[in-house]
Amino acid sequence: MKILRSAAFALAGVTLLAACSSTTPEASDSTSTDGGSSAAEGAEITMWVAGGDTPQALRDYLISTFAEENPGSTLVIEEQAWGDLVTKLTTALPDAENTPDVVEIGNTQSPTFTTVGAFADISDMYEELGGDKLLQSFVDVGMVDGKNYALPYYFGSRYMFYRKDIWDAAGLTAPTTLSEFSDDVKQLRTDSMSGFAMGGQDWRNGISWVFANGGELATEDGGTWTSTLSDPNTIKGLEMWQDIYQNASNLPSTERDVAYWDFLNDAADGGAPEAATIMAPGWARWSIGDLTTNDAGDEVRDGMADDSKYDIFALPGVDGGVAPVFAGGSNLAISAASQHQDLARNLLTIIYSPEYQQMLGENGLGPANSDYVSSLGDDKFAQTMIETAAASKLTPAAPGWAAIEAAFVYEDLFQKIAEGGDVTALAAQYDETLTPMLNGQG
Amino acid sequence: MSTMTETRAPARTGAEPRRGRRPRLPYLLLIPAVAVLLLGMGYPVYWQVITSLQQYGLAQQFGQPPEFVGLTNYSAILTDGYFWTVALRSVVFCLVNAFVTVAIGVGVALLMRAVPTVVRIILQVGLLVAWAMPLVAAVTVWKWLFDWRTGVVNWLLTQLGASGFDGHNWLAQPLSFFLVATVIIVWMSVPFVALSVYAALTQVPDEVLEAATIDGAGPTKIFRWIIVPMIRPVLSIVLLLQIIWDLRVFAQIRLLQDSGAPVRETNLLGNYIYELGIGRQDFASAAAVSILVLALTIAVSWPYVRSLLAEDRS
Repeated sequence: MKILRSAAFALAGVTLLAACSSTTPEASDSTSTDGGSSAAEGAEITMWVAGGDTPQALRDYLISTFAEENPGSTLVIEEQAWGDLVTKLTTALPDAENTPDVVEIGNTQSPTFTTVGAFADISDMYEELGGDKLLQSFVDVGMVDGKNYALPYYFGSRYMFYRKDIWDAAGLTAPTTLSEFSDDVKQLRTDSMSGFAMGGQDWRNGISWVFANGGELATEDGGTWTSTLSDPNTIKGLEMWQDIYQNASNLPSTERDVAYWDFLNDAADGGAPEAATIMAPGWARWSIGDLTTNDAGDEVRDGMADDSKYDIFALPGVDGGVAPVFAGGSNLAISAASQHQDLARNLLTIIYSPEYQQMLGENGLGPANSDYVSSLGDDKFAQTMIETAAASKLTPAAPGWAAIEAAFVYEDLFQKIAEGGDVTALAAQYDETLTPMLNGQG
Repeated sequence: MSTMTETRAPARTGAEPRRGRRPRLPYLLLIPAVAVLLLGMGYPVYWQVITSLQQYGLAQQFGQPPEFVGLTNYSAILTDGYFWTVALRSVVFCLVNAFVTVAIGVGVALLMRAVPTVVRIILQVGLLVAWAMPLVAAVTVWKWLFDWRTGVVNWLLTQLGASGFDGHNWLAQPLSFFLVATVIIVWMSVPFVALSVYAALTQVPDEVLEAATIDGAGPTKIFRWIIVPMIRPVLSIVLLLQIIWDLRVFAQIRLLQDSGAPVRETNLLGNYIYELGIGRQDFASAAAVSILVLALTIAVSWPYVRSLLAEDRS
């Protein structure tokens, strides 16, 4: 034990020296040779990826490329579950001995950590890693006082999946405005089928109606956040959502993480589906369609192969166009306590390289750098994803945001709205609760 | 360094037994256990108390020096109506669950005494299996049973002719949410009570019961005036344990909340602490609520412990 520990200290010393040396001008132009090799002495860095979103092929690419460019050093990729990512980061990041060096973090979780100094300042790499080409809403969410602490990793988006056969039979086509969408799905609803399946607590989908009406959840002025549910535009959006939930959805008011795609498929006995329309992230496609058998002999969905039966459209805006939806996705950051800052930076260089950005797109993840968005493909799924992502919005980058999510405040609010509560009164009540929480008090 | 202590140590141990009195050995033997207890329990409690007197959040976790704020955290919590709502809800929930569990447990124990051996063994195995079931697995199964869309409970009620249960969501209203939670918790705790009480029942001498029967006492009277007084110590301790366990119930509620429920209206003290500490990273307030819960646990169980001690002495 003792020997191991002193070896680790020696190692840490070596990398610290390396980190110092790399700040000299001649090192900065070739990160891989100089900074890498002197830090090499068997250094191992750890990257935490969240959930299974990063496919194995991409992980393998990172590991092998990192080993090539940093001889003697290795990259270990560890997968953390989304559910306890914040908890694990809270305990691991401050501990220099155990911190992961590079971490993936949900875009809306970033401010919680950037505002307390958990991540290293990487502003000097910003231009090199893509600069203005990087998805700006994600860059903003990782910024504090004009400095970059977290940068976008990949983005996803959400759009509408619908049963074309059912819409056709009712004489309806894909809507062009948000109110037309409301009318259509309300008309499609029956006792056994939701026109549009939406859980009452599902605010992550629900806030699209707020954004579409020009509303905001919260605004910032001089470092102070204010909850703006009572803004007339926000109220208009919430009321529109209330109407659509009450008149088009058969789901309970407490549902939030719903596998909506199950509702769109035919019932197990081949009967009618439970919903005519759903809203879901792009990858939901692979859970939708008719049953077929894959090469391994497993029964799978065919990914909506029958386009007379299943189709997609982007949620339309109030006056046409595309409504801003809530963008999913992740950011990347380097732990401030990491003892391998230099190697961690080398890893970021690989991730933001054209090759890796291209690979993200080919695997259906929206690449951080807009130059490589075309790698997503040019079918309707890729096109709709790009179109909706371009119009997408993020939740407020407030320091208390993760606390609000953990306390289920918006879930409670949306449930009360779904149950027919008075939107104006609820908005005023929740503004009072949310404003101190947004600022990290209470 | 180590050689110095080694040379000194034998000298001391050599000198002491001559001077010291004999009963020291038991205390010496206690040292390891006490040390482990102090290390394992004492330090966390010490940390809790200190943290509860500071302003300690995520910024402090990342190296900012915590500020000593005295009893501010406590006064903030005690003046917050929500804490009292949760505390009252927890106490009521705990008492209902503890008493229901013990009542059913005693019933099952009496049943085990009354039935033939084969049936009793089947009962006991059933109880043990239920008891051995991992918590998360058990709650998951119960969640599926009560699922609004595909649950067996709704299907069964509908088949039996009850209307309005097709698609009924049990977790949507706090009251029916706690009904489901009670079913799960009671189901999980009854085996312990039943087996303990059954063990106690085997200690009730048959002659006493026979004598009572001859004197004309019916089953109710025998239970009330002979069995209960004889197994009272076991009943007391079992009830006390249930109260303590049910006051700190956490995982079952959390798992049920995860499948969609009004969270704020179903939080118990354990969940409230979790939300403050793990969710909002307000470690100081979470520590303060924990200390208050410790005080509450002592307050709820104190009369009980005292009567247990009194029984011991007599």
